[in-house]
Order: sequence, then structure tokens, then C-alpha cells
Amino acid sequence: MLKILGRKTSVNVQKAMWTVGELGLPHERADLGGEFGGLDTPEYIALNPNRLVPTLDDGGFTLWESNTIIRYLSRTYGHGTLAPADPHAYARAEAWMDWSLTSLYADVILTCFIQHVRVTAKDRDVAAVAAAAKRAGEKLGILDAQLASRQFVMGGQLTIADIAVGTLMYRYFNLPVARPSLPNVEAWYARLTQRPAYQAHVMIDFKPMMVAGA
Amino acid sequence: MKPATLKILGKPSSINVRKVLWACEEIGRPFVLEEPALGSAEFRPLNPNGLMPVIVDGDFVLWESNTIIRYLANDAAAENLLPSDARARALVETWIDWQATEFNTAWRYAFQALVRKSPPHQNKADIAASVRDWTKAVAIVDGQLRRSNRFIAGPAFTLADIPIGLSINRWFMTPIENRPSFPAVRAYYERLSERPGFMLHGRNGIP
Ligand SMILES: N[C@@H](CCC(=O)N[C@@H](CS)C(=O)NCC(=O)O)C(=O)O
Ligand SMILES: N[C@@H](CCC(=O)N[C@@H](CS)C(=O)NCC(=O)O)C(=O)O
Repeated sequence: MLKILGRKTSVNVQKAMWTVGELGLPHERADLGGEFGGLDTPEYIALNPNRLVPTLDDGGFTLWESNTIIRYLSRTYGHGTLAPADPHAYARAEAWMDWSLTSLYADVILTCFIQHVRVTAKDRDVAAVAAAAKRAGEKLGILDAQLASRQFVMGGQLTIADIAVGTLMYRYFNLPVARPSLPNVEAWYARLTQRPAYQAHVMIDFKPMMVAGA
Repeated sequence: MKPATLKILGKPSSINVRKVLWACEEIGRPFVLEEPALGSAEFRPLNPNGLMPVIVDGDFVLWESNTIIRYLANDAAAENLLPSDARARALVETWIDWQATEFNTAWRYAFQALVRKSPPHQNKADIAASVRDWTKAVAIVDGQLRRSNRFIAGPAFTLADIPIGLSINRWFMTPIENRPSFPAVRAYYERLSERPGFMLHGRNGIP
């Protein structure tokens, strides 16, 4: 059976879990990382030398890096659905996945999220959060234009592109940061929140993760 | 029919453009390189992010360097660079993603400080923290090379060696005090240097 190693509160674990949920694959998940620890054991490092979560175990084949996991699962179990069958469409979907890593992740997760959840209000770098939120809002303006004529990032159907970018959106829309008006992104996010797999694996309240005084 | 010539929009000194140039050498795909005016009305529709590289392959336009090199390898059915078997392919993709997420993030501050001499990046503690993270990332490459034997994803050269190789070139080209020695990384750097594509677009004097 498919196994995902990583705590369910990790945004990168959530990408893998949402994928598995959309594909309807039988699976189990083991708590690792965060308060559960377990990332610095020789056994884990042999699976994932980067010592982070998630790691996927598909019948003894192990894999890490969340976007790579999404692509592997979708190419293997979701060809023509989550993974577009046309090579050009597939490449365009991959571009949005990379875009999520290189344009959004640092500002939305490493700055906005971490500063609000892992840092006390007293120590929070308010200027860095404001600058990151501003950049993220501008970048999401690009996605807003893409979504103007589409239900999902690639068109009429949910794909790997929605998963990579969409997982970050629950945090983006639930953090107390300044957001520009993004009507198409907001409508798309509302559509994602209607999906059972998104509700089950991504819409996980992060208040319990907040440090005292955050 | 696909036109034989691929158009690459980018500057040959940009690390993300160099990935594409080197990939084309490995694949044997002819190309023309044009320097884009990033903010111009002609360029924006090609890449709304206003960044390079962008490729134009007939009427197909694509941005994001790592996506571009995967597309080109796939399009050329370059099995050796990017296998079609889902598992073998994923093991290559892991290191491409890791370069984009962890490796690239680690060096950013130190590189701005030590190579670009950027005035807003001269905080000593931040430089030290970035060098520490960068060193940790290079140590992961070193460990992987010992296991994988010769190249980052295994005994043979793959597409993942392109972003990782360019990053290793950057490591050696940046003046880092007391740079720890990683013998497997050094040997890998020399091994990559046997490849004309790396000498042209990687180890060409540009960090
Ligand atoms: N580039 C990696 C990043 C993974 C990552 O940053 N994971 C975090 C959680 S979101 C982690 O493992 N943190 C340490 C911990 O949870 O203990 C990926 O996309 O898979
Ligand atoms: N994630 C993008 C990043 C592209 C990027 O940042 N490109 C830089 C050059 S390396 C750029 O166009 N900068 C604007 C400029 O040079 O004016 C990719 O990998 O293609």
C-alpha cells in the first residue's frame, strides 16, 4: 500500500495527501516531523537525505520532494486526469508547479506563514511580512489573469498545477496579511474548498501550530 | 512539422538560461538565442512574469527553466537524460526540484553579498547563516554522490546534473572563507568538465 511519511499539518505533505485523495488511492500516513520528530534517524536519512517531509513509499519505491511526488503519482495513477495527456499541456502545468516553488513559496510559506505561526508577535518581522505579502499579491495577479477564462489553472479540469499552487492558498487566505482584490483566484479557491479531498487534507486549521504569543 | 530551430529568449550569463543552453547541447537541439526586453509589450505575453528564460518552439511558448529542460528532453525522447519510466524519471526530478527549493534558497543571500556585492546584503550574521545553509546543501550533494556513484541521480549523467552542476560551479566560483572541502563534489566538478556543454555554459568563468 501507498504510504506517506509526514505530519498532516505540513503544507508539503498536504500536496501529496490531496493528490492521493483526488486519485482515490488506498494509503496510510505516518506522523513524522514537527512535534513527532524522527527526521534525523539513519533510517530516515537513507530515505530522504534532505531530512524533511514528505517522503512517499509506493510498495518499496521511495521518493521525496513534494512536487516530484505529485507528478509521479499523477503520471502513474492519473494519466489524462491530474496529469494532462497532451505533452504541451503537461509542460504548461509543470510550469505553474515550478512557479509555485520559485515565485510563491518563499513569500507565502517561509515568510508570511512562518512569521505568523512560529514567531511571537513581539519578535515578528512585520516589515518582512508586509513586503512578502505585497510580492505574493502581485504574483497572484498573474494567476488571476490565467484564471479569468478558466475554471482551473489549465482549463476545465483539476490538474497537478492546481494541486501545487492551490495547497498554498488555504494558508494565504487564512493568514492576517494584506491581500489585493483577486476575483478569479478567489473564485477558484472557493471551488477548491468544495472538493472533499481539499477539505480533508488541506483545510487543516493551523491555529494549534502557533507558538505561545504568536 | 516542427521547425528545426528552437528560439531561446535569455541572456547567456543568467543561471536559469544556462540550464536551457546546456540542455540543448546535451540533447543536440539547434537553437537561436535572443536577448529579450523583459518589460516590453512584445515580451509580456510570452511570460507574464517578465523573467527569462522563455522558449518558443514553433507556436509553443514555455517559461520556467526547470520545466523547459524537462520539456526539451521529453520532446527529444532523450531517455538517458529523462527516462520515460515513471520511477526512474521521478528520481531525476527530485534533484531538479531540490535545486529549485533548497539549494537555490540556501545560497541566495551569500551570493548577493559575496559575488554581486549588493549593498543591502552586507549583514555579517546573515551572510554567515547563508554560507552555513549553503554548506549544508553541498554536504547533501557530497553524500548523494558517494551513494549514487559519479552523477547526482546515479552512475550516468542525467538532466538533474544540469541544475546541480551549475549550482556547484557557483559554489566554487564564490569567494567563501575557509570553504570546507568535499572530495566527492570536487571530483564531480572535474567529471562534469569533460562535457563540452558544461564548459561552454557552466564552467565558463561566470559564477
Ligand atoms: N522542498 C521540500 C520541502 C519540504 C519541507 O520544507 N518540509 C517541512 C514541512 S512543510 C519539514 O519537513 N519541516 C521539518 C519538520 O516538519 O520537522 C518539499 O517540497 O518536499
Ligand atoms: N523560476 C524562474 C526564474 C527566472 C529568473 O529569475 N530569471 C532571472 C534571470 S536568472 C531574470 O529574468 N531576472 C530579471 C533580470 O535579469 O532582469 C526560472 O527558473 O526560469
